[in-house]
Amino acid sequence: MNLRSLLFVVLVGLVFAGLTGVVFRYALRTRRSSQATWEEILGRLAHLDREKIAAIALDAIDDSGRQNFMLEPDAIWSMLGGMEGMELLEKNCQVLIELATYVQRWHPEALVVAEQLRLNAREIEWHIGRLKGATSTGNLQSAFADYAQRAVATYYLMTRHVLELYEQVSFPELAQLKQAI
Amino acid sequence: MGLSGVRQFLWAASFSSTCVLLAVLLLRRRAASLSAFTFLIAFYVAKTLVLFSLAIHFSIRSRPYALTYWSLSYVDDAIQFAVFYELVKQVFCPTGVWARDTRRAFQWLVAASILLALGLAMLASPPTARWYETYLLRSNFFVSVLESGLFVGIMVLSSTVGLPWKTHAARVAQGFGACALTSMVLEGTRNYFGLGPGQRAYGVVAYIETVIYIGCMGFWIVSLWQEAPAPRELPDAMLMQIYTLQRRVENDLVRIRNWRRS
Repeated sequence: MNLRSLLFVVLVGLVFAGLTGVVFRYALRTRRSSQATWEEILGRLAHLDREKIAAIALDAIDDSGRQNFMLEPDAIWSMLGGMEGMELLEKNCQVLIELATYVQRWHPEALVVAEQLRLNAREIEWHIGRLKGATSTGNLQSAFADYAQRAVATYYLMTRHVLELYEQVSFPELAQLKQAI
Repeated sequence: MGLSGVRQFLWAASFSSTCVLLAVLLLRRRAASLSAFTFLIAFYVAKTLVLFSLAIHFSIRSRPYALTYWSLSYVDDAIQFAVFYELVKQVFCPTGVWARDTRRAFQWLVAASILLALGLAMLASPPTARWYETYLLRSNFFVSVLESGLFVGIMVLSSTVGLPWKTHAARVAQGFGACALTSMVLEGTRNYFGLGPGQRAYGVVAYIETVIYIGCMGFWIVSLWQEAPAPRELPDAMLMQIYTLQRRVENDLVRIRNWRRS
């Protein structure tokens, strides 16, 4: 067996093993997600300090639509709990995406709205992704205030609307949901 | 005809399973939502009939048979890519237009799959007597790696962005993904052994390929015969409220996107 053939066999083996591993990992993830009930998905929401989230969001944009920007990036950073807090926010966004997926799967008549909610949650994820990128390139200081506050404000408004929605439809687990988001 | 008993049995089994699948697609009315896939299965039926009559009139080692076989295999690849596009559209265009957060990722996926397939196909150096045999072996391997990358990629992408699959489309994609992955290994084996004296490796791979094909047909027959789970009813009031929620979230996002921190 010459070197080229050996390399070919090794690479084909590696690509096959890699792709098969990815298939199994994602098949399990998709299966878990497709079998989850509405309540189970909500149960995955991580606890975030709602008051601090509200303070950061309302500093950027209050109910009348005025922009204040009184909080300094350092203050936002500590109120959020640093990158750990952002990670929790990202986790909750994934849950919001799962909620939207659930609506798309089981209630096709609400497809358009569920798709919009999914895209909005993805937008928050995008802001957090930019922050992570800035961390790895050492530019967190300049990027933090902008991306973090946008992500927090979007999250805050989105979750507030979700709560309003459940209040209207008298969702039985509303207390638990309120505590979670 | 020049076929062994086992080979004839496998040929008959693969032909009948393809016919059954075509019947399932038509009788259970899956053809409307899976039109490219139905066309592919109808093509397989026609292809087998054409090749079978050529094998009877000439032989499977004759020139007309070989020419038809290889030409049809490229048509087969082209239709398979049409099926891929059909599945991708069902998942990534849930509202009729391409989901905006997946467009770029999908372009990257296609580019990466092509590069991977091209790299591996260029690395292959099958021992063959004629240049076109090398071309045929490499091109088949290229297609199988490309399809593997694409099917695995769309599965990962849909799961990451949270876009659900419709039940039947998911089953078709799973079958294709499994076939593409095994085909990558089998075509890799063919490229390693090449078309040497006796073509023993080529024949063994052909047996395994047919068995996998029959297995895949069986999987599709069972899963496409079954009905997809029925959607749940959403009360009108809740539907209206979800619409209101979405409008308000969208308004907020417009405001947030326009922020400028002085």
